[in-house]
Amino acid sequence: MTTDRRRINAPSGGTSAPVFVRTVKEVGYLQSLRPTRTRGPNEPRKIFLQTSIIPSASGSAYLEIPSSSNSSTTTLIPSSSSLKITASIQGPRPLPRSAPFSPTLLLTTTVKFAPFASRTRRGYIRDSVERDLGVHLETALRGVIIGERWPKSGVEVVVTVLEGDEDAWWGDGVQGGGGGGWGVLNVLAGCITVASAAIADAGIDCVDVVSGGVAALVRNPDIKNKSEGALVKVLDPCPAEHQDIVAACAVGYLASRDEITEIWMKGDVGSSPDELIEGATHAAVGSLTVLKEVLLEAVEAQVKGQVLEDEKVEQQQDIEMVD
Amino acid sequence: MALPSIALPGQLLGPSSQYAPGPGTHIHDSQIYASVAGPVISTSHSTPTPTSTPTSTTKTTQPAATKTLPLLSVTRPSSNTTLHNPSASGSGSPVLPTIDAVVLARVTRLSPRFASIEILSISSLVCRTPFQGLIRREDVRATEKDKVKIEESFRVGDLVRGVVVSLGDQSNYYVSTAMNELGVVMARSRGGKEMFPISWKEFREVGGTGVTETRKVAKPF
Repeated sequence: MTTDRRRINAPSGGTSAPVFVRTVKEVGYLQSLRPTRTRGPNEPRKIFLQTSIIPSASGSAYLEIPSSSNSSTTTLIPSSSSLKITASIQGPRPLPRSAPFSPTLLLTTTVKFAPFASRTRRGYIRDSVERDLGVHLETALRGVIIGERWPKSGVEVVVTVLEGDEDAWWGDGVQGGGGGGWGVLNVLAGCITVASAAIADAGIDCVDVVSGGVAALVRNPDIKNKSEGALVKVLDPCPAEHQDIVAACAVGYLASRDEITEIWMKGDVGSSPDELIEGATHAAVGSLTVLKEVLLEAVEAQVKGQVLEDEKVEQQQDIEMVD
Repeated sequence: MALPSIALPGQLLGPSSQYAPGPGTHIHDSQIYASVAGPVISTSHSTPTPTSTPTSTTKTTQPAATKTLPLLSVTRPSSNTTLHNPSASGSGSPVLPTIDAVVLARVTRLSPRFASIEILSISSLVCRTPFQGLIRREDVRATEKDKVKIEESFRVGDLVRGVVVSLGDQSNYYVSTAMNELGVVMARSRGGKEMFPISWKEFREVGGTGVTETRKVAKPF
């Protein structure tokens, strides 16, 4: 991690919640804490989404996917992580003087994990995982934005991950959220969904609403031999709940056009990658239903607010006329 | 098909044979889709009956046919942030200068060949950020273009009403004031006093000092 000399840096290792000695002494106890997936394989986690949360940005959104497992009362560490992401849109605004002429909208995406987003502390300077996520998010958004409508302008999409999905359960000894693991796919899908909501909030022309989804192939722990039925396809996997993820895939999906703008696949997919991609699109459709409802609600509220404002102005004019 | 009252990007609005695409929409596979989120507006309220539409499209040429079609547009609702906090930088409308748009701009710099301006509002919508523009010497007025002097037409700080003539180069929009209604609408004198227009080329100071300054004056409505 590159250190930032302008700030007082926290210890690089970060602080971790204390682990009780019982987990080390008793052999079976630690495993009994392992979270399990309580929802069905085709059932995504619940999503909270809200737009227009940052007044100074032209568009913004906040997404939260709370952890599905019940919080354990016997440890201080939450059994599974949740996802909390904000996105803000700056612009479209005129390009700086030094920039060359561009007939279309220039899109810049920045993904940054907050220093406290994962159990290992993140730096203030963007690392390779964050830059990677930024590039993936840009390709996902580039496919939906109609850039020709905004000549000579630039737009900046700034995504901050307040809490990222971990790569594995903490009890497995993997330092969670170090980046590059399974959790990063969930983060990407969340980034796509929340950035899409923020772009719609900013009023930038799009061909469709893009949404993100993840699907994974996990090994069923009950079946020990590597037979056919050992691999199960699950939508929206929470990495802490699955001990052995074989492959995973995140997509940015346009539902009404049936197009994919972004795809990121990891692991050993086997002979049928299409099935995994299809699962990811199903998960994306799931988050799209939430996304559409939130956007509709926001527009309805804005229209209502506009009508009220107009009435207020009319009333004021009436009063002035009476005077 | 009934039009939805509120559309989201990518929502199907109708076939392009029945409607004309307006702002906030796009065409894909000869169907009109919304491209921004907002209320749907159809300009001609009398939607064409199914019997009249095919005859009009077959009989007349394409430009004439599109004229009869109702224009579908999706407007951006003014966001909540604008209503609650007008001073926030997120306020204002997401508009770009377009050709023939009437703009209000402030003069920032003068040079013998052009006046630099920043465009503050476009077609009575306030911009989020000012756009850089310039008024070239030959665009100041319609007549006697060769005798125009920039320093006798504008001064730094003047508010100018103009019309966009070109999207220009990498950084500047080109604005023209070559019409009676276009030109300086508000100006202060060298002494810093407010002025009022007295002719097509002169402003006079308020307060009976009798000081006049030359400008390209916009004709008051």
